[in-house]
Amino acid sequence: MTAAVEIQGLTKTYGNVRAVSDLSFEVGSGRVTGFLGPNGAGKSTTLRMLLGLVRADTGAATFSGVRYSELEHPSAVVGAVLEDASFHPGRTGRNHLRVLAAAGSQPESRVDEVLAQVDLARAADRRVKGYSLGMRQRLAIAAALLGDPEVLILDEPANGLDPPGIRWMRDLIRSQASRGRAVLVSSHLLSEVAQSVDDVVVIAEGALRASGRLDEVLGGAEGSVTRVRSVDDQRLAALLAARGHHAVAVADGGLVVRGADSGAVGRVAAEYGLALIELGVASRSLEDAFLELTEAVAA
Amino acid sequence: MRALLKAELLKLRTTRTFVALCAVAVATSALLVVITALAGEPTEDSVLVEVFASDTSSLFILLLAIIGITGEWRHRTIAASLLAAPDRVRFLVAKTAAFAAAGIALSVTISAVVALLGYLILEARNLPVPGAGDVLALMGRNALVAAVLGAFGVGLGALVRNQVAGVVTVLVASFAIEPALVAVLPEMARFGPFFALPTGMADISGSELGLDVDLLAPGPAALAMFAWVVGAFAAGAALLRYRDLE
Repeated sequence: MTAAVEIQGLTKTYGNVRAVSDLSFEVGSGRVTGFLGPNGAGKSTTLRMLLGLVRADTGAATFSGVRYSELEHPSAVVGAVLEDASFHPGRTGRNHLRVLAAAGSQPESRVDEVLAQVDLARAADRRVKGYSLGMRQRLAIAAALLGDPEVLILDEPANGLDPPGIRWMRDLIRSQASRGRAVLVSSHLLSEVAQSVDDVVVIAEGALRASGRLDEVLGGAEGSVTRVRSVDDQRLAALLAARGHHAVAVADGGLVVRGADSGAVGRVAAEYGLALIELGVASRSLEDAFLELTEAVAA
Repeated sequence: MRALLKAELLKLRTTRTFVALCAVAVATSALLVVITALAGEPTEDSVLVEVFASDTSSLFILLLAIIGITGEWRHRTIAASLLAAPDRVRFLVAKTAAFAAAGIALSVTISAVVALLGYLILEARNLPVPGAGDVLALMGRNALVAAVLGAFGVGLGALVRNQVAGVVTVLVASFAIEPALVAVLPEMARFGPFFALPTGMADISGSELGLDVDLLAPGPAALAMFAWVVGAFAAGAALLRYRDLE
């Protein structure tokens, strides 16, 4: 997997608040990576550090090894939609894109192309102040696509979109990945992105909780997920880890073990004489798994 | 840099505020020259300053520059601008150059309108008119003043960031603080960037304006004004460069 985006040890502190803590992950070309976490988890701060808008205290964020600020033609490499995408209200949608096209040395013909791509051609000559939230979101996406970039970064892109708009967004994301583009899409709602992502990076309180393929990290319909509670959860987690099973402590006590059925977990506990208080198949949705991860405490 | 300059010039042309304020600047200057040419009795010595110095471009381009740069924060477009131009100093250079160029264009337009109206009215009243060379030289000086103030406005705006505060600061400094300094501390007031230095750059003396202050000659005034521009730009650029954009 080629790392189109590489984040290494990124940390950002505001006063006494550590917004992002030693965060590292990669985004591969041709894949859609969901960047997930609850509100305030540090997703937007991370993306803004990646895009050079916020200075990291430590760590580095690069696109194929190059920092955003050092990209010669940034719009040809990275297209970004920020969560609070804003526009001059008195400028038309077309003129907003013309300005960005000029700055990125793109031909004006690209403006009409991306307007058509986001289905905004008919409203292109209206002033942005008359746009709905969904239209503004489409305009922001059009701006991100202007340079036909290798990497697409979308911060909460479904905000303001109606159901057809969300479906359109999913199709766009998948089509970009199928063309070999790397797509990093952040959301606080797993359900918004679960259908379109290949990989996920889950963060909470600024720190990485998990990363990898969606089914590996959050468990799919085919994966075994076991819930277990013992007299010593910490020891049990270590024993399971030694056997290659990933156990995560959950806030209300006990462990959730992915990739191991209750028999395998029970055998490990019996082998080391650990008394179990609870053992069973965890029946849960992806959303449950996501919540468990983001609410998990260190095992 | 050419691409960024082109983008910044396009920003100016595609907002109503810029076009409307430029129209107001032209109309105000035209009104001033009509009033002074119709009501005054200029002599050969006084006609150039009394009638043909009605160019208001410097004040308007200063306001437009401040509105332009602070608008990036007001409308929260600064992030999109810096995504397109991640080198923040280059972004500020491009915006500075754009407003300097806009200042020249606005000043030349206004000067042409002022000259046309001035000549027509004075000729009709059989009053003395200045030589074409003098008027062209004045146009050139006015254009230089407008360019410098356009650049100055961008630096100031990058420092202040708040649009209302920026505009109020310029208006208060131009119409209250500097005139008060001229009366109280004339030696210090000669170096004021909102009135004294631009007036000196335009080769208009204090006595021609009825003021008891020796304004700097065009050359020194231009140098002093250039120092203000560099200072404001450097401070604005330093602030922009190290500021997080949340």
